[in-house]
Amino acid sequence: MREYILRRVIYAIFIAWGVFTLTFFLLRIGPSSPADKYLATLVAKGENVEELIAAVEARQGLDKPLYIQYLDYINSLLHGDWGWSFSTSMPVMELIKIHWKYSFQLILLSMLFAVFLGILIGVYSAVKQYTKADYIATFFSFIGISIPNFWLGIMLILVFSVKLGVFKTYYDTSLPMFSLANLKALVLPVITLGTGSMAAYTRYVRASTLENLRKDFVRTARAKGLPDRVVIGKHVLRNAMLPVVTIIMFDLSGVVFGGAYLTEIIFGIPGLGQISFNAIFADDYGVVVAVTLIGALVTLFFNLITDIAYTYLDPRIRYE
Amino acid sequence: MNRLVKYYWKRTMRSRLAAFGLVYIIILVIVAIFGPFFTGDPNAVNFAEKNLPPVGFSIEHSVYDIKSGEFTTVVVKGSLKHPLGTDDKGRDLLAMLVSGARVSLYVGILATGLALIIGSVIGVTSAYFGGVVDNALMRFTDIMMTFPFFLLLVLIVFIFGPSLNLIIVVIGLTGWTGTARMVRSEALSLRTREFIQALIVLGSSNKRIIFRHLIPNVLSIIIVTATISIPGVILAEAALSFIGLGDPSVASWGRILNAGQDSLDTTWWVAVEPGILLFLTVLAFNFLGDGLRDAFDPTK
Repeated sequence: MREYILRRVIYAIFIAWGVFTLTFFLLRIGPSSPADKYLATLVAKGENVEELIAAVEARQGLDKPLYIQYLDYINSLLHGDWGWSFSTSMPVMELIKIHWKYSFQLILLSMLFAVFLGILIGVYSAVKQYTKADYIATFFSFIGISIPNFWLGIMLILVFSVKLGVFKTYYDTSLPMFSLANLKALVLPVITLGTGSMAAYTRYVRASTLENLRKDFVRTARAKGLPDRVVIGKHVLRNAMLPVVTIIMFDLSGVVFGGAYLTEIIFGIPGLGQISFNAIFADDYGVVVAVTLIGALVTLFFNLITDIAYTYLDPRIRYE
Repeated sequence: MNRLVKYYWKRTMRSRLAAFGLVYIIILVIVAIFGPFFTGDPNAVNFAEKNLPPVGFSIEHSVYDIKSGEFTTVVVKGSLKHPLGTDDKGRDLLAMLVSGARVSLYVGILATGLALIIGSVIGVTSAYFGGVVDNALMRFTDIMMTFPFFLLLVLIVFIFGPSLNLIIVVIGLTGWTGTARMVRSEALSLRTREFIQALIVLGSSNKRIIFRHLIPNVLSIIIVTATISIPGVILAEAALSFIGLGDPSVASWGRILNAGQDSLDTTWWVAVEPGILLFLTVLAFNFLGDGLRDAFDPTK
């Protein structure tokens, strides 16, 4: 078991290295160099540009060969130096420290919303298979899967903010992190981000529960005279959740990178998605590399947790 | 018609939702191909007819009267000339949406096709050669899977400039990982299946095994993957256009949505209409994909 975890950690580091390398070279082969932004401001100030370009490139190490820059970058990353953000004039790490909480609360609440409702509706739908409730749940889960989340966000703003005036159209950053007002401000973003995942989980939970309802051990449990509550809550649910855990973890990276990104932009939430979006437009590559890498690390970490959790959830699985 | 195709056709059409999906997609394709010949120019600006609501709706405009110097409220009704209304520059939304259907299907089909070809080649190569080649290709697939796809898309389109063909190539070059894994595992398991072993023992020719048995078995997976991949690609392009990185030379659904988002309080229909089409298109492909998956699943 220990050897297995060690192997998985090494593999995760390898994948993170691959993601970093791809990002680094993608940014460097692009036509615009990080020095260009500096240049524009310097020309505006009327300075001697030729001289300054050399100085700036030397300071940032851009005059060195590409592979040296690459190795330097890895070296400073390993020493905890994530670089300097030109567009916000602060170290990248500082910038991330300020903004990560906004992404974290949005993603955490959305996942809770999606997992809780998804499991609840999915199990209910399976137990009441082929009833009206099941058809309604299936119908709405199809709608939830198919509705583009950025459009859902706009429609929620249109109905609840513009027409009814229940919520604000923009996320208010002055609200304290753990307050009811902040929770209220997050209602629309959480529904926007969580609905697609919730609908998908509903379908998987339903399928998985149905499969387990037909198993022999369920018939045995029923024959023993156990009440429905125990049969469903204990025997069926525990087994049905196994494949669902994998689906949720797989979905997480999509939520972190696709959904949260767009949701933050629509509602003006200053999270990591928003700052990396701004950073791309400002050619502020240090931030882009950092956000990409952090996202990849988070995904890999949760994948690892899933695999380890599996050995406890399902005693039949043994990693040698 | 081929007996096999006929059989799967019947099984797919058993699902009413799949049939609905297929009908919707066929109509959308016809509209996308022939529609632009009947609607006007989607980029024709006409400020005299700006902000017209769709037929059956009316909104109140505040109009400043130069002579009296007073604001008067004018009720503007939708007209049949612009059945779906116009945007803030007076462009006809029907024409824009029809042109957007063309863009969405073009991107969806081409990018998915590219991803399927790359994925199939990598999957089959991986399964066929095994060993080091398999290992290297699958590790590369893992890296691509962990790589934040949407961020990558934004990054590349920003660096190299927004063009529809670039978007297609990038989605194609990054979207193949799922297909590669599925084709690989399918090819690996098929090789050892009893019916293939039996065919070898019975002396079937390689050609017959490959074309009569291997390809039809993998093909079903590829068809289902294609059907359920297309909506994802359409959404990716729409999301990209929505955040302002779409090809500025074409009227895509995402770009209309982007414009509509800024004027929700006045011209709400500009944001509502492309979204409904986007939603219905994704729903149709999901219904069809679901029906196809059930049809190809021999246990159902």
